[in-house]
Amino acid sequence: MMDLSIANFAQIIVACLLIIGLMVGNAVVMVYIERKACGFIQRRPGPYEVGPRGTIQAVCDSMKLLGKQIFIPGNVDWLLFFLAPILAFFPVLLLFLPIPFGKFLTGMRVDEGILLILAFSGIGVISNILAGWSSNNKYGLLGAARAVSQAVAYEIPMIMALLSVIFLSGTLNLSEIVERQGSWPWQWNIVCQPLAFFIYLVSLVGETNRAPFDLPEAESELTAGFHTEYSGMGFALFFLSEYANMLLVSFVCATFFLGGYKGPFLDGFWWMFIKAYLIMVFIVWIRWTFPRVRFDQLLNINWKWLLPLSIINLWVTAVVLRFV
Amino acid sequence: MFRAIIDNLKGLWSLLVGLSITGRFFLSPQRTTHYPRQVDDPECLASYRGPLELVPADDEGRSRCVSCQMCVKACPGHCLTVVKGDQGKAPKTYLYDFTLCCLCAACVESCPAGAIRFSHRVYLVATSREALHLDLLADLKSRAAKEAR
Ligand code: SF4
Ligand code: SF4
Repeated sequence: MMDLSIANFAQIIVACLLIIGLMVGNAVVMVYIERKACGFIQRRPGPYEVGPRGTIQAVCDSMKLLGKQIFIPGNVDWLLFFLAPILAFFPVLLLFLPIPFGKFLTGMRVDEGILLILAFSGIGVISNILAGWSSNNKYGLLGAARAVSQAVAYEIPMIMALLSVIFLSGTLNLSEIVERQGSWPWQWNIVCQPLAFFIYLVSLVGETNRAPFDLPEAESELTAGFHTEYSGMGFALFFLSEYANMLLVSFVCATFFLGGYKGPFLDGFWWMFIKAYLIMVFIVWIRWTFPRVRFDQLLNINWKWLLPLSIINLWVTAVVLRFV
Repeated sequence: MFRAIIDNLKGLWSLLVGLSITGRFFLSPQRTTHYPRQVDDPECLASYRGPLELVPADDEGRSRCVSCQMCVKACPGHCLTVVKGDQGKAPKTYLYDFTLCCLCAACVESCPAGAIRFSHRVYLVATSREALHLDLLADLKSRAAKEAR
């Protein structure tokens, strides 16, 4: 895989620090974008009063969150209760490492980058279960149960969709997958794998627990689902990791389907960020357009449609690659 | 099987329609009034039921009220106090407790002289209960004075 020299180690440390910065900055920016977009869709201005056009609102909100008391209800399982937010936050850090932001701008060049991401993204679900279980709250437990069945369900078509792109480019290395695509939109993988892109887009919403698939934290049914009992920093960590997860799947989507850091005129990390944020804005747009689905509908969409479609897509890709 | 597929394709289409609607709303101008800096068009407030006010009978701030007490009897909240004046039928006090009023319009409908109506004071705020115990005669006078100016 890679040799563990001092230089490599230093590179990883620097990358981790940058990624923490990116995660925090992303959460602040996304809260602002989300609230603004929601406002515009509902024909109101969104945050407006704090700072010019409400730009400092998200910063003030996070300050408030930092200053809040951490309230611990009775009968919680202490160890797990505190472990869960940490477990939600730190694996995400690791997941950003193999993402290629530019030709040479990668935290850690690994040949099986996508495997690393898919394997470690499962830890996020474990943290949800732990949070729901340890907080000794019926809403928390129900939210956790939903989170698990949803994550299990949506991971499969997601992987299948990614797999057809992997077949196409013949590598698990994220940088190489980008290298196989060209700079112009018609040279991107989305052109030959539109169905995989669509499947990935749907399961991405399910995977990150975003509306309309936000059943683990459905406010109107479960108050806040698995993080009902968390306040202050505990909640902030969940919040941060949720937005970081969103950013991560958007980066993966950009890498796999939209040519990663390659773009018209001048390749570079800016294309990566532009594409990822466009996808995020799309996710936000979806959230404020569609109502939340019922749980059986959620699983029906997955098992009856996405999974068969992704398998067919994979077969067709394999056959075409073999014989053409 | 085919039915289900067609239904789902139609469903997908409806999702796109939904997205296009919210997208259009996203781009269209906002409806919010930024209150302290902007106020609403008075036309929008034509049907707004604010606290009661007396209908002026003339320009000098006299009221149409004939002190018949119909409104006082009709009011379910006992908000109104009308005391007849010494000369003629005009009232000498007309007190209105806005904190008790449910804006039901029973008083307005029962008034034979058409002397009361709802104001359009949508921006009314008060920092104490007493500030909402309104003296409608004084209010009428001050409005007439303002008009005269
Ligand atoms: S609107 Fe109704 S509650 Fe208010 S003063 Fe008139 S009768 Fe009483
Ligand atoms: S019902 Fe009309 S006229 Fe009679 S006291 Fe009330 S306001 Fe005056």
